[in-house]
Amino acid sequence: MTLALNFPLRVESPISRMDARWRLASILPAAMIVACLRAWPAVLAALAGALVLAILARLSARWCLARLFGTALFLLFFVIWLPLFPLRGEETVNFFGLALSPQGLERAGVILGKGLTIVTLILVLLAVSPLPETLKAAHALYVPGLMIQLALLTFRYIFLLAEEFVRLRTALRVRGFRSRANLLSYRTAAHAAGTLLVRGHERAERVGHAMRCRGFDGVFRSLGEFRTRAWDVIGFVLIATTALAILAVDIMH
Amino acid sequence: MTGEPAIVVDNLSFAYPGGIRALEEIRLEVQHGESVGLIGPNGAGKTTLFLCLAGVLSIPPGKAKVAGLDPAVKDQRKRLPAQVGVVFQNSDDQLFSTTVADDVAFGPLNLGLAKDEVRGRVAESLDRVGLKGFDERVPHHLSGGEKRRAALAGVLAMRPAILLLDEPSMFLDPRGRRELIGLLKTLGGTKIIASHDLDMMLDLCDRVVLLDRGRIVATGLTGELLKDEALLSAHGLEVPYRLRPAN
Repeated sequence: MTLALNFPLRVESPISRMDARWRLASILPAAMIVACLRAWPAVLAALAGALVLAILARLSARWCLARLFGTALFLLFFVIWLPLFPLRGEETVNFFGLALSPQGLERAGVILGKGLTIVTLILVLLAVSPLPETLKAAHALYVPGLMIQLALLTFRYIFLLAEEFVRLRTALRVRGFRSRANLLSYRTAAHAAGTLLVRGHERAERVGHAMRCRGFDGVFRSLGEFRTRAWDVIGFVLIATTALAILAVDIMH
Repeated sequence: MTGEPAIVVDNLSFAYPGGIRALEEIRLEVQHGESVGLIGPNGAGKTTLFLCLAGVLSIPPGKAKVAGLDPAVKDQRKRLPAQVGVVFQNSDDQLFSTTVADDVAFGPLNLGLAKDEVRGRVAESLDRVGLKGFDERVPHHLSGGEKRRAALAGVLAMRPAILLLDEPSMFLDPRGRRELIGLLKTLGGTKIIASHDLDMMLDLCDRVVLLDRGRIVATGLTGELLKDEALLSAHGLEVPYRLRPAN
């Protein structure tokens, strides 16, 4: 088992050429706007826009679709009930013996579309530049340093934690442990989780010591430097205008 | 530079919360430019002594002076990172940034240096430890030896006058260990090296201090103290291979 975050090979694209701050400042608010949409034409337009952005970013189709498929499956579990349980006063239509609500179906489609659009936008953000660069851009946009530091440390140590988990699991297996639905298995899993927690805490303490030894005073500092060029502003304006136009369509619908 | 030693420890005792006594009445002087080995079994207090000297653990005022600074005094403690570099036992604890360059830059940035100066120091330090071109590498993907060298680069970039190295050869394969010893030999300045690797001590240290259960048990010239089989054996250590009589 692995918890490794597999990012596709980064390729040059109009989106990757944008300054990370401008990219973040355009895509993240666009994702927030998508979350506010209510009408399906606007959601469809947003999804189309996000896919165009993914194509412009030259994301690997396979990598992107695999994640979108997973997201769709996850969301389906929640939205599948909406057409089956109509709100009071809603009409239903008979579909192979099932009474389905067209409005419920629309609501399910809107939620599914919004979810897929937001995930596509986030995939674009994650895939076109290393996560640390995006986080440093967020810091340059005045996201508090503490949050950035926490995110960077989590990103750095999640792999080590995963490795420790794998080592623990191996240690259990070589001593004959097999996970089953019984009290012993639950207790063992709880002990393993506790051990991970304690090791994580000890490591955090040691990391804290190492940081203090190198003069850390709680302020996040970075070598990252950003420079605005014409393309950054053009890209920002294009993405922001599209997002606002879609929002306008949604409001007028 | 004044005439006083680089490190002076005067009757330092330390107990962890919960009452575990880690150090007892430690007295130690290390001269400028000297390389001192700190040896002892597990739990002897070597790491604790380093953390006290680096100002990470709180000690009473007047018990230690490191590069003329008292780790117990807040204003002086703040200036310690510029003078004292600590290389930790487990490099994964020390390489906490997401790229090697970010990690090496961490200390100099905290010293308040200009970004251009920091970039220069990063390049210079990576070059010095043989990791030129590793700037954008992810620490998690480095080998044990590379991690140790990257950790050392992070400390060297701060240009400290004093280096405290905690088990530097731990987790290294023979080649990595050999390369590290070669690298440490090239480093000037004052060094205290804590290790179980007594063969390495012969290569790097003029003098060794034997610590056990928080107390200094013996101190002497490396070649002489490490020959004392009875003493080493009594404190859970063994005469290094090179000093053993030929079979």
